[in-house]
Formats: sequence, structure tokens, C-alpha cells
Amino acid sequence: MLTMKNLSKVYRTDVLETHALREFTVEVREGEFVAVTGPSGSGKTTFLTIAGLLEEFTSGEYWLDGVDTRGLNDRQRSRLRNEKIGFVFQSFNLIPDLNVYDNIDVPLRYRGLRGAERRRLIQEVLQRVGLSSRVRHYPSEMSGGQQQRAAIARALVGRPRLLLADEPTGNLDTQMARGVMELLEELHRGGATIVMVTHDPELAARAQRQVHIMDGRIVELEAEPVLVGQGSVEGLRRAFGRSA
Amino acid sequence: MEIRPILSALRRNKVGACLIALQIAVTLGILCNAFYIVQQRRALVARPSGVDEADVFTVSNQWVGNPPNMAALQRADIAALRAIPGVRDVFPAASVPLSNSAMTLGITTNPDNPRSMHIAAAYLGDEHTLDTLGARLVAGRNFAASEVHELDGIFGSRPPIAGVLVTRDLAHKLAPDGQILGRVVLLFPFQIRAPVIGVIDRLQVPFVDGPDNKIGNIVEDSMVLPYRYVGDAYWYVVRVQPGALDAAMRAAPGVLAGVSHARIIEKVRAMSEARREIYRADRTMVQMLTVVCAVLLAVTAFGIVGLTSYWVSQRRRQIGIRRTLGATRVAILQYFQTENLVISIAGILVGLALALGGNLWMVDSFSTARLPLAYLVGGVLTMLALGQLAVLWPALRAASVPPAIATRTT
Amino acid sequence: MFGYYFRLSLRSFRRNIILTGLMVLAIGVGIGASMTTLTIYRAMAADPIPGKSARLFTPQIDNYGPVNLGSDTKAFQTADRLPVSLTYIDAVAFMRAHAAPRQAAMYATNVAVTPADTKQLPFRAPARATYADFFAMFDVPFEYGAPWSAQDDAARAPLVVITRQLNDRLFGGANSVGRTVTMNGDPYRVVGVMDSWNPEPRFYDLNNAFDAGGADEVYLPFTLAIARQIQSNGLSCLKSVGSGWQALLASECIWTSVWVELPTAASVRAYRSFLTNYGNAQRDSGRFHWPTHVALRNVRQWLAYRQVVSQDVSTLVLVSFAFLAVCLLNALGLMLAKFMARLGQVSVRRALGANQRAILAQCVVESGTLGLTGAAVGLGFTLLGLGLARGLFGDSSAVLTSLNGGDVAIAIAVSVCTTMLAGLYPSWRASRVQPAWQLKTQ
Repeated sequence: MLTMKNLSKVYRTDVLETHALREFTVEVREGEFVAVTGPSGSGKTTFLTIAGLLEEFTSGEYWLDGVDTRGLNDRQRSRLRNEKIGFVFQSFNLIPDLNVYDNIDVPLRYRGLRGAERRRLIQEVLQRVGLSSRVRHYPSEMSGGQQQRAAIARALVGRPRLLLADEPTGNLDTQMARGVMELLEELHRGGATIVMVTHDPELAARAQRQVHIMDGRIVELEAEPVLVGQGSVEGLRRAFGRSA
Repeated sequence: MEIRPILSALRRNKVGACLIALQIAVTLGILCNAFYIVQQRRALVARPSGVDEADVFTVSNQWVGNPPNMAALQRADIAALRAIPGVRDVFPAASVPLSNSAMTLGITTNPDNPRSMHIAAAYLGDEHTLDTLGARLVAGRNFAASEVHELDGIFGSRPPIAGVLVTRDLAHKLAPDGQILGRVVLLFPFQIRAPVIGVIDRLQVPFVDGPDNKIGNIVEDSMVLPYRYVGDAYWYVVRVQPGALDAAMRAAPGVLAGVSHARIIEKVRAMSEARREIYRADRTMVQMLTVVCAVLLAVTAFGIVGLTSYWVSQRRRQIGIRRTLGATRVAILQYFQTENLVISIAGILVGLALALGGNLWMVDSFSTARLPLAYLVGGVLTMLALGQLAVLWPALRAASVPPAIATRTT
Repeated sequence: MFGYYFRLSLRSFRRNIILTGLMVLAIGVGIGASMTTLTIYRAMAADPIPGKSARLFTPQIDNYGPVNLGSDTKAFQTADRLPVSLTYIDAVAFMRAHAAPRQAAMYATNVAVTPADTKQLPFRAPARATYADFFAMFDVPFEYGAPWSAQDDAARAPLVVITRQLNDRLFGGANSVGRTVTMNGDPYRVVGVMDSWNPEPRFYDLNNAFDAGGADEVYLPFTLAIARQIQSNGLSCLKSVGSGWQALLASECIWTSVWVELPTAASVRAYRSFLTNYGNAQRDSGRFHWPTHVALRNVRQWLAYRQVVSQDVSTLVLVSFAFLAVCLLNALGLMLAKFMARLGQVSVRRALGANQRAILAQCVVESGTLGLTGAAVGLGFTLLGLGLARGLFGDSSAVLTSLNGGDVAIAIAVSVCTTMLAGLYPSWRASRVQPAWQLKTQ
């Protein structure tokens, strides 16, 4: 589904050259739920933006669902993004001018679907995330959890092959976070490929596989479900010297 | 207040700052010139005609079918008009002030030198002319009744005359030494010679076409010749006692019809109305430019408010951080006011160039006068005040940003 | 997608109703002001007789010489110091020479008309004394009858052509050819009734260039008007004149004009050399003591030379376009602020699959919608402004009675184009936003 080989990303300004990703190689298979962890500034977000075709990379290869993304122009990248990728952001990023329905409508519009088809897809996804009763609400009229559900609905409505989530529970309280996490897991059980960036080891542990990034390089940790438990969290804390 | 941080912030908002500065520049350029034109026109429109305009009206009269006794009819008309209650005096005029229809003649005290010729408007009149118009003599004497001759057309036979009256301005041009009374003048093209016997304080020429101000230098140059005009078309000028104007104007056509029906009376018009009509274009110009200037200032102010508001909302967090670091509300207010001052000054510098350029164009194309410094200074002060006032509201909003905002993420 | 973008912009307007309202108002006022002045300017600078304006000429000749009557006279002089009218002597000489295929001398006057119906009061009517060629040369349409003939000119026949308005007034609009009109106490026989005809600016009568109320209602033979001693309205003399009508005709006073139709370049050249030869002959005969100075201008050149477009209008056009520039700078700034404030949304849309062109299209549709609304408002202001500007001309001027379709189209096009132009930079800026921007800054 997602393959990066020896990928590097260098940010250049007049005075500074920052290597955000170096020799980055990773593969996410279809139907996997991968958690990407790492300290601040390690390159997590850069990885996500490149994976989501929001940014170009400096060198290396990136194959998305069998498509070589090198040298694609803005139109082609936008189209790939629209068809294959769904984004879930930490701060939801719902468009405040639009109500829930119209927010979910946005990616379908850019895909150029007909009205009836759009309505059908939107109704379907609303039921899936349990927001059917809030269709006409504006983002400002909803709780954080509801907003994130709407955002997930927007990410899912186009039936993407790959769901990219950036700290999806970062702005939510524990209870709401659990609800959102359960939703993601349900989606995964339904066959979705999910890549989730998080710095929360507990959340990361719920994923099928963890990928750890440090200084733009990958440190892969196989985290089978059996490892979920007190011990492994303690181990992580020791290993990276930071409190979870 | 330090300027450096403001400058570096402006560098990051180059386009917005340039847009405001440009708006200020163009506004200043228009404002100075438009306001100057407005003031010129107001002065033009306010020029006194020398006529007691509140109490004078005119009746246009054209005889129909060439009646043989036009002079007698005129005498009967004048007698009838004088009999209207409240009427003070009447005379028949071939041209009247504020009418745009004039006879102009050349006049000189030195017939041998054509270069000494001045152009002046000639009014035909009699011993009642000065009193009827409300014009005042400052020197010399009025015509005696016996000195007035009838004239049925300037191209008809012209009896010699005993004297002419000239306005003070014309007298000054003819005789800069001030010794005009008794000097003989020659009138072109009719070769009329007569001494100046009286000097009128003020009597405007009949035309005032002011926009180009081409005739501005001769607008006060009039003379009165002792000819009572008895042609087939002329005006009766009627002066009434204060307050009797409306009644007399209503009565006049009926009274004249009582003398003879064989005439056309196209217009009975108060002098105040004549003034309104003749200066209509100037008043329109004043109105349009005033409206444009007012709206222009509003638009520019609105643009400043809009963009500054955007900057404030963009920098809320930054303002909060400054506040936590100890900036007072006043300091935040001053920051935005100073920022506006910097932009305004940049705009004003460009605007001064535009103002002068616009004025040069007008000097060049229409030979209007140079823009006085006072208008530039006034324009600059207006723009500075406008900027400071417009920025006040967003700046106050910025000053009211709570320091706590710095601790929040969004 | 256009409909979607359009609905999005309406939504965005609703959310910022005051800001949007003020922007539309600013654009509208700018458009209104500039379109008002432009319409007036276009009317004043219009070609009064399209298709023929390059073939109709009026001659001028210097019959004053290098007289210098002091500085005051500058006000009355033209740029080339040529008199703007002709003497009777020259007008008649030009007519006699027949140097052009069509030619008409003319002057403006007034007549007192006594209606046959005695219940109606006599009235004054603006009149023009001219030659038969006037009507054919200026393409004057006739409702009834026809112009008088060249023979009538020669015979000083008491004939008259009247306008449709006067025919309505005197004869109730009936075919009045052959009937009699009493003017200045004399009978005249109607030979023709003109159909509506109102060239603006009235190039052959610049004292009444725009005032429909001042248009001539009566046309009578020049030769007859001279015989009946009907005086011209305007008269300018810089040399001494004797007494009486004959002295006036023989004088150097100027009060007539001549228009000629010269269909080919060759005929223009021929007429020019005729004028020069005429001037030289006058000098040789002792009438002129100065080098011959003549001019031959066609309609467009004549209107420019006489500065028909008033300085006020030129000034107002300049001011109003500068004003429009300020309004557009204003709209540009506010749109920039508005779009920049929405960059977060833009990057979200980008993440959801919008390409640069889609973002650009959305912004352009929004600014275009703003422009269209501004154009509609501007059209309203234009009508208002034309009403206000009526004072510049006089109420009866046809210049301002109607705003034609072309002007409306120009107003809308200018409005939409300028607003979209103003919206282009902000739109471009918005479309350049990195899709990753929102992720990076959170």
C-alpha cells in the first residue's frame, strides 16, 4: 500500500539546512494499522505530510498503492490524495463556514461526483460514525469528540485506501479519545489501512505495528498485541527517557 | 516606541502595507486638487455681481410683427411696470448681469495705440440704470435724462453721447494713475468717443463662464452707455422694495399684456434664479467633488480598518505574548498607531508627488493656478488624522487582547 | 464545480455580511463615479455624424491680422489665433466659388412665430439661415416634403423647413407642406418637415452643442434672411463698423460659418488650395495686410479644436478613475486579508484533494461574484450620478436622458474585470498555500 525507500527530506533556508528525514525506508501493507511514534521534531509530521502527498520529498522513492509518486504534478498529486487518502487531524480542521454535511461533502466535490452519489455516500458515512442527527450543525456547535467524528467521516467518505491520522485524540479528553480510538479500530477491523502519528505510547500500543522515528530515521518496533501491558510501557519510558 | 520591530513586521506584510500606503497616496493626490478646485469654484460662485439681486427681476420682451411705435410702447410698458405696487425703478436693457449674453467692446484712452485696448462689456442704459440695478457710484455723476438717446440697434444710427460710466476695475486699467474722470475714451469697433463721467463701484460683465477662468481678469470690466435700447427684443429690469419681489413678478406679465399683446414674454426671472442657473455647472462640480472626496476618505478609512483588523487578529497570540512580557495596553495601542503612522508617511510622500503631478496636469491643460502650499499641508494633516482615527478601533481591540491568550494553543 | 464555488462564496459573504457589504459598496461607488463621468465624456466626445465626420469640413480665414488688443483678448482667442466664424463677405464668396460638391453658409438667429390659431400666443423659436445643401450634406431626414432647392436660394424664396416638434405645435402633426407660417410678421411657405434629427454634439452650432432645448426649430434660406435683415445671434467685431445693415454686411465682423462636403482626398486638397488662393487674392486686393492664414477642419478636428469636451468633464474623468483605483486597491487589500485569514481552510481543502487550480477557481469565482454585485450596485450609482451630472449640461440635454446598452455593458465589464483583477493576486496567493501548512503549524 505504502512503500518508502531511502527517502530523504531536506528543508533549506538561506542559513539553515534541516534533514527532516534521512534514508527513510518503511512499508505499510494493505489492511495494517501502524502507529508512528517519536519525540517532538523527530520527523513524524514530515513523514505524514509526505505520505499524504502534501509535500514533496528531496530524494528516494515513494510508492502509494502501486503508483510511483515521483515527478507527479500538482493535479495528479491532488487527485491521488483525493481518491486514495483520508486525513484525520489533531485539531479536526473542520471548515468553520460549513456545517457537518457540507464539510463531509468537500472531498466528494473535488472528486466531481454527481449529487445523488454524494448524498448516498454522505448518509452512509454519517451513520457509520453516528452523527446522523448532527448533519446541520456547524463545527462551533459541537463538542470536540463530535467534531473529530465529523472529521473522520470526512476522511472516510471518499472510501480512501489509506487513512492518515495525526494525533487524532490529541485535543480530546480521555473519554472522547477512547471513543475515537474505538472508531479507528472498528475501521481497521473493517479492512482499512491506517497510519496514525501519536506520541502517546498507550495509543500506539493499540496498533498492530509501531514505527518509531528518531532524528529522521526509522526504528521499527514489532508490537504484537500480546505485548500490550504495563511492562512494555515501562520499557518504552526507560528507553526514551520521557514520561508518557 | 521603537520603530525597528514595526518596520520588520511591515516587511512581512509588504503587500498589505503597500496597498494602504497606495490608497493614502492616491487619496491625498485627489483630495488636495479636488479641494482646491472646490474652493476656487466656491469663490467663483460667491463673486458679487454688483446687482441688488434679492430685489431685482427681469422680464424678457420681444415685439411681434414689427410694431411701428416700439419706442412709445416701451415708454408705456415702463410706466405700467412702475405703477406695480412695490416697484422702485425700471429700465430696458439689451443685456443684464448673470445672463451670459453680452455686448463686448474695445475701450481705450489712447486711440493711437491698439495695444492699449481693453475688452469690456457694454451695458446700454439710461438715468435709471444704476438705481434699478442697485449699483453705486464712487466718483463722478450719473447720466442726466437729457443725455440719454434712443437706440434701435447698435448697427443702426448712433447719436454721439455725452459720457460713459465705467466700473472701478476698468477705470483702474484705463488710468492706472487714478485720474479717469473726464478722460475721453474710444470705443471699438463703433468709433464712439466720449468722456468718462462716473465710476461705478462694482458691476460684473454679463457672462461669468468661470470653469477655465479665462475671463476672470475682465469679469469686473463693464461700462454703461447712455443709450435707451428700443430694438425688438430686450429685457425690462425691475427693482422692487424689499419683500415685494414675488408679488411684482406675478403682476408683471399681466400689466405688460395690458399695454400690448403683440409680444412674446418668454421669461420672468429673479436675479437670484439667474445666479443659480449661470453657476449651475460650478455648483454641480462642487457637489460632485465634495461627494467624491467624502466617499474617498470613507473608503480609505474603511480599508485601513479592514486590513489592520486582519493584522490584529493574525497577531493575537503575539500580542498576548507581549502582554505577558509586560507590555501595557497603551504600549499595544501605540504599536499599532505607530505602525499606521509609518505607513501613512510613506503613502503621503508618494501622495504629495501625485498631488503636484495632478496639479501640473491641470496647470498644463487648463492653465489653472498652482496648488497653494496650504492645501498640501491641509491634505497631509487630514490623511494623518484619518489614518490615526481609522486605526483606533482595531488598535483598541488589540489592546484588549488578554495576556492569557499566549498560554492557549489556538 | 462553478455552482459549488458560487454557493461557497455566497456563504462566505453571509458570514462577513458587513465587510462584504462595504466592499461591494466601495466597488459600486467607484464604478458608479467612473462610469458616470465616462458616459458623459463619451457623449461629449461622440461622433455626431458617424460615417461623414471625416468628409465634412469648415473653412477658417484670418481676416483680423496680427492685431493685438492687449492681454485681455487672449480669453477670446483660439490656439492658432484664427477667428472661429466668417464674415458675410467671405461666406458669400465661398458660396459663389462652388469649390465643393456641397456647401452651405449659415448663421443662427431667432424668429417670432405667430401661430395661425389666434388662441395660441406668439413665441420665439431658434432658427437657422442656411442654404439648400445643408439638408443633403448633413443627412437630415424628412417626415414630409423636402428641402428647398438651389433655385430657391438664388430667388430668395420665402420658404421654410420646420422640425417635427414645431409642426406638432403649429399644425398638430399634420402634413403641413404648402401651408403658411408667420415669422417676424412675414408669411413663409412650409416646404418640408424634418423627422427627428439631433446630432450631438451639434458640431455646426457649438454655442448649443448639447442643449436639446436650444436646437433650431426653423430653417430658412440664408439669402432671404439677409434680404429681410434678420440679424445673427452672435456677432464679433474687432474693426470699426459703420451704421446700418449694408455696413454690417460689408464689415469685418464675423457671424457666419460655412460647411462643405469634400468626398475625396483630392477634393480636400483642391479646397485647401482654393482657400489659400482666395486668401492671397484678398491680400493682393489690399483687404489683408498680412500673410494668408487659413484652415480647413473636418468635424472631429473641429470639435477637438473648439474643445467641446469641457475641462470639468476631463477633470472629473481623471478624478473618478483615480477614485476607482482607490476603491479597487481597497477591495484588493480586503480580499487579500479575507483570503489570507482563510489559508487554514485552504490547506485543509488541499489535503482533501483540491488542486491549485480548484482553489484558484474558488477564489476567482468569489471575487468575480463580488465584482458582479459591485457592478450591479455601480450601475445604480451610475444612474444616480448621471442624474446629479445633469446640472453640468442643462435638463434637456439628450446626453443624459439615456444610458445606452453599450455603456451598461462597458460598466459591467469594467467592474467585473477590475474586481477579478483585484482578486487575482489574493487568489493566487491563496492557491500557493502548501497543503501541509495546516499540519505544520498546529
